[in-house]
Amino acid sequence: MGEDVAIECDDISLTYSAKSGTPVEALQRVCFRVNPRRVTAIIGPSGCGKSTLLLIIRGLLAPSGGRVRFVDAQSNAAVSAKPRMATVWQGFNLFPWRTVSENVGFGLEVGGISRSERTARARRSLAQVDLAGFENKYPRQLSGGMRQRVGLARALVMEPDILLLDEPFGALDAQTRLVLQEQLAQLVEKSGTTALLVTHSIEEAILLADTVLVMTARPGRIAAEIHVDLPRPRSMATTHASGYSSLFDQIYSLLRDEVVRAMATETESA
Amino acid sequence: MPGERSPMEATTENATRRPRNKFIQKLGEPRVLGWIAVAFVLIMWEAIVAIAHLNPIYLPRPTQILIALVSMFRTGGLLNDLLATLGRIFGGFAISLAIGSLLGIWMATSDRVQAIADNFIAALYPLPKITLIPLLIIWLGTGGPFMLAISALGALFPIVINTVLGIRQCDPGLILAARDLGATNRQIIRMVLLPSAIPSIFAGVRLGIGVSIILVVAAEMVVGKVGLGARLYLAGQILETEQVFAVLIVLAILGVVVTKAQDWVDVRLNQWRLS
Repeated sequence: MGEDVAIECDDISLTYSAKSGTPVEALQRVCFRVNPRRVTAIIGPSGCGKSTLLLIIRGLLAPSGGRVRFVDAQSNAAVSAKPRMATVWQGFNLFPWRTVSENVGFGLEVGGISRSERTARARRSLAQVDLAGFENKYPRQLSGGMRQRVGLARALVMEPDILLLDEPFGALDAQTRLVLQEQLAQLVEKSGTTALLVTHSIEEAILLADTVLVMTARPGRIAAEIHVDLPRPRSMATTHASGYSSLFDQIYSLLRDEVVRAMATETESA
Repeated sequence: MPGERSPMEATTENATRRPRNKFIQKLGEPRVLGWIAVAFVLIMWEAIVAIAHLNPIYLPRPTQILIALVSMFRTGGLLNDLLATLGRIFGGFAISLAIGSLLGIWMATSDRVQAIADNFIAALYPLPKITLIPLLIIWLGTGGPFMLAISALGALFPIVINTVLGIRQCDPGLILAARDLGATNRQIIRMVLLPSAIPSIFAGVRLGIGVSIILVVAAEMVVGKVGLGARLYLAGQILETEQVFAVLIVLAILGVVVTKAQDWVDVRLNQWRLS
């Protein structure tokens, strides 16, 4: 990719009809920009539509209003070819009947790449996430943390210009989560890809992101954009660095009100 | 289930087993015990028929049945009957696997096709397929096409219904992941929906083969000139009771072989589910 591609979300809205038939406004005129070669985190209360937003950006879900544009970062002109994107999912979404290597090679296989090249590239990608030697295991034989590293390898093997991470560590236990957050931070720093991370963990957002977007309770809007200028490489030690706790407090106070609002809506509808 | 232990046995096994004579201990093994019971029934059968001088037209001795069975295979052409019946069962089954899984995929991926097919299936599925024998004979005669049709009809519905079920149960996350990785709709059907439905399709296959066996043998009894069902009916007509039993034994063994083969395939297919 010669040019640096930014994502521009212009007034994205999504309204769907619930089972009862009443329309639900999930996203309301969401506007933001994701800068190239940066990590942008979206944080918000559960149900605010942050994962939905990721699906819209990936083109897997059509918004009711607004549009997603992929633009050249310098000229702001729309790019001719859509950038390559790959997603890492909260539920891993590995194909249980495929081996680890066949899972990682899935995207290459549908792209018509030969078996031998698939195997070789899958092996390299798995080595990147410290899973060399597990090529012929099935997902069920792996722990949650290992499964998500397979999910990460499956996305990385596509050599994406933009990496989309949908609460990638949400289903993992706290300790596995810490280690994987650190590893992901290093991986992203090294590769310099553009990454968009959806999370409900403030710590994860600060550790990984250059920009944190705080979303409101449903209908989701962008409440604030916070820049994280803590030095890289970051690790768990970053949580003791100066500036960390003020960032944490700033995000928390924004988030707290929204979480309370989300809880109130839940009680109303229940 | 042979070879599987009841929960009670499993919990007390180690605690209560005292060292005993190895031979006796072996006799007590559930699997061995099962075969001993079979042998015991056969010996009692033989003895009672001999002692009570029962007319072999009503109940022949197991040894007579065995002799009849061997001679039917060696000179009576029973092998031809067996092969004819197997050909009909698996030929029809192959047709219904191909049609059934394709129709199932089509129904599961299109609400319109589903809506069109639903009423027909609701009407035809609970209908005992054996009642279609007269109609099929009128349409197709009593030859090969009729036999294949009746066999295919038996397996078709369980396969269609289970294919639809299996595909509908596919984790939507897997479809999203496949789309994200660039798969086309066709690729998603072939590489995601179909593999994830395979255990369910195979459950349909299991039910389907059972129905196919019943229908083929029944159809052979009604109109067949060759085939195990025809042989069975003929032997009954001329009161060759040993031959009736001999054919029943072949049918029973056929059932066991098919069941075991399905177990074997099931384990292969589900390798990724185990461990």
